[in-house]
Amino acid sequence: MSKRLLHTPEGVRDIYGREYAKKQEVERVLHDLIAGYGYEGIQPPTFEFFDVFSREIGTKPSKELYKFFDKEGNTLALRPDFTPSIARCAAKYYMEERIPLRFTYKGNTFSNTSNLQGKLKEVTQMGAELMNDGSVEADGEMIALVVEALRAVGLKEFQVSIGQVEYFKGLCQEAGLDEETELDLRTCISGKNFFAAQELLSERNVKEPYRGILLKVADLFNTMNSLSEAKALVRNDRSLAAIERLEKLDKVLKLYGVEDSVSYDLGMLSKYNYYTGVIFRAYTYGVGSAVVTGGRYDTLLGHFGKDAPAVGFAIVIDDLLEALSRQRVEIKTSAPETVSYDPQIPGDFEKKLELVQKMRREGKNAALTASAGKGRDESHG
Amino acid sequence: MADQRFNDEHYLTFALGKGRLANKTLEILEQVGITCEEMKDKNSRKLIFVNEELKMKFFLAKGPDVPTYVELGSADIGVAGSDTVMEENRNVYEVLDLGFGKCKMCVCGPASARELLQRHERIRVASKYPNIAKDYFYNKKHQTVDLIKLNGSVELGALVQLSDVIVDIVETGSTLRENGLVVLEEVCPLSARMIVNPVSMQMEKERIRDLVLKIRNYLAEKGEA
Repeated sequence: MSKRLLHTPEGVRDIYGREYAKKQEVERVLHDLIAGYGYEGIQPPTFEFFDVFSREIGTKPSKELYKFFDKEGNTLALRPDFTPSIARCAAKYYMEERIPLRFTYKGNTFSNTSNLQGKLKEVTQMGAELMNDGSVEADGEMIALVVEALRAVGLKEFQVSIGQVEYFKGLCQEAGLDEETELDLRTCISGKNFFAAQELLSERNVKEPYRGILLKVADLFNTMNSLSEAKALVRNDRSLAAIERLEKLDKVLKLYGVEDSVSYDLGMLSKYNYYTGVIFRAYTYGVGSAVVTGGRYDTLLGHFGKDAPAVGFAIVIDDLLEALSRQRVEIKTSAPETVSYDPQIPGDFEKKLELVQKMRREGKNAALTASAGKGRDESHG
Repeated sequence: MADQRFNDEHYLTFALGKGRLANKTLEILEQVGITCEEMKDKNSRKLIFVNEELKMKFFLAKGPDVPTYVELGSADIGVAGSDTVMEENRNVYEVLDLGFGKCKMCVCGPASARELLQRHERIRVASKYPNIAKDYFYNKKHQTVDLIKLNGSVELGALVQLSDVIVDIVETGSTLRENGLVVLEEVCPLSARMIVNPVSMQMEKERIRDLVLKIRNYLAEKGEA
C-alpha cells in the first residue's frame, strides 16, 4: 500500500469529527431560519449541460469550470453556482406559475481556479431564491434573511453592502459608452481600480461631465456617502429609478429591523453578468472574501424560456465556518456519549445494551463499546 | 496566529514589499503621522512590527507575495509595484498611486526585432512577467507568442537568442544600451500602488478611508510644491 493514496488533490479536503459536527449544526440553524420564511428545499444535479453555465448566462468564466463529456459527446460541467440550475428548474416545472416561488438549496459547488493560491475548489453553499416576485419587498426579504442568518449563527460583527447595477448601467447609457467600454469599465470599478478606470476613460475619449461622474463611482473615498449624493449626480431615468428603488428598500429594511447591519455602495458591481438590479454582499472579519453574495436577476429565467423576475443569495458555508472559528464564536455541538461493557463479565453486554437503548430512545447519541483493551478480537493472556 | 487579531481591538495590518518600496512607504506614512519605531531598528530580527498606540502592524514581504497576503486577508493593506499587482492579478482593491518607483514595462530587443512586432508571426518572448506579456500580446496586439518565464537578467534572453524579444521593466535604459538592445514598444507605465483587501475595505472603512485621504492630500501638496 502506497502512502500516496492518502492524499487529496489540491483544493479539496476531508471534513470530519468535531469540524463536521459544527458544519452540520451551522447548516441546521441556517436551514431552519430560511425554512421559517416559507422556503422549500430543492436539489438540482451536481453536473449539468455546459450551456446552463455558459457565457450568455453570465456565471463564472468557462476556464474556471470543471468540464467533461458524456458518452454522446455532450459537454457537461460541475456546477460553479446554484442559481442557473434553480432558474432552469423553475422554468421547467413552473413555466405557467405566476405566484411567488421560494426555493432553498444546499450543496457543493466547484471552481477550477489556479493552484497554489490557498483557495478551495469545492465549497458548500446554502442559499435561497425567490422567483416570480419583482417587488422591493422581495429584495428586502432576501437581505433581511441574510442579516438574520448571520446573526443566528452567532456572528456579531458583519456588514451587508448593497449596490444597484442599474445605477451604473444608466450612467453608461447616459454617457453613450459602447458595450466594450462599459464592460472594461465594470472590471475596473468592481476591482476598485481607480487608475485603470481613469486611464480607460481618457483612452476612450469619454466626455465631461460623465468622465468625472463615472470616476466618482469608481472612487471609494471622498464621495457618495449617501444615496442622496448619488442621486444628485445623475440625470437619466434609469439611474434615478435605481436610487429610488434603494430608498424604498431602505424603508423595508427598517421594518425588518436590520438597517444597522447594511450600507450602500453604488460602486459595487458583480462579476456575475446575470444580476440586473439590487446586489449585495456580506463581509465579516477572518476571511478574505464575502461570505454571502446575492442579488436580483430578472432576465436569467428568460434564457430558459420563462419570463420572470427573481432574487436570491448564496452563503459560502466553508468561509462562514472559518470566520466563526477565527472570531472564536462558539458553535454548540455535543459529542456522542460512550457506554462500555466488559466482555469478561457474563451478562454485562445485555445490561449495558438495555441502558444504551434507553438512552437512544430518550434522544441521546450513545455508542456501545467493549471496555478498552478487552475487545472480543483480542487475545487475552 | 491570525487569531491574535481578534483578541480585543482589530489591528490594521500592512504588508510592505521589501527594500526601497518599504522605505519610501514608511517615509510617506511618517509624513502623515504614522510611525513604527520598532522598524527603524536595523538589528532587529523581528518579522512583525507593532505600533500599539495606533493599533497597527507592519511586516515586510517579497514583492510578488504582497498581493497574496492582501487577497487572503492576512494583511489589510499592502504596498507593491503595479507590475507585481498586475502580474499576480489578485482580487484586491487598488486604491492609491503612491507616485514613487516610476518606470515602464516595455518590449525590448535588438533593433532588428522591430519588424517582428509588425506582423502576426509567432515569436518567442522571454519575461519575468508572463501574465503581463501574455495580456499585452494576446489582447492588445492580437499576436500569438511563445512565452518563456525567466527569473532575472531577462536581457540575456534576447542576447543569447533564447527569445526574439523580452518584456521587462525599464528604468533608465542603461543596461539595455550597454548591451545593444532598444525599447521597441511601451506596454504600460508603472509605479508603487497601495492595495486593500475587499473585506477590510468594508469592515474597517473609516480607518482605511481616513488613511488614504491623508496620504492622498499629502501627495497632492507635495506634487504642487
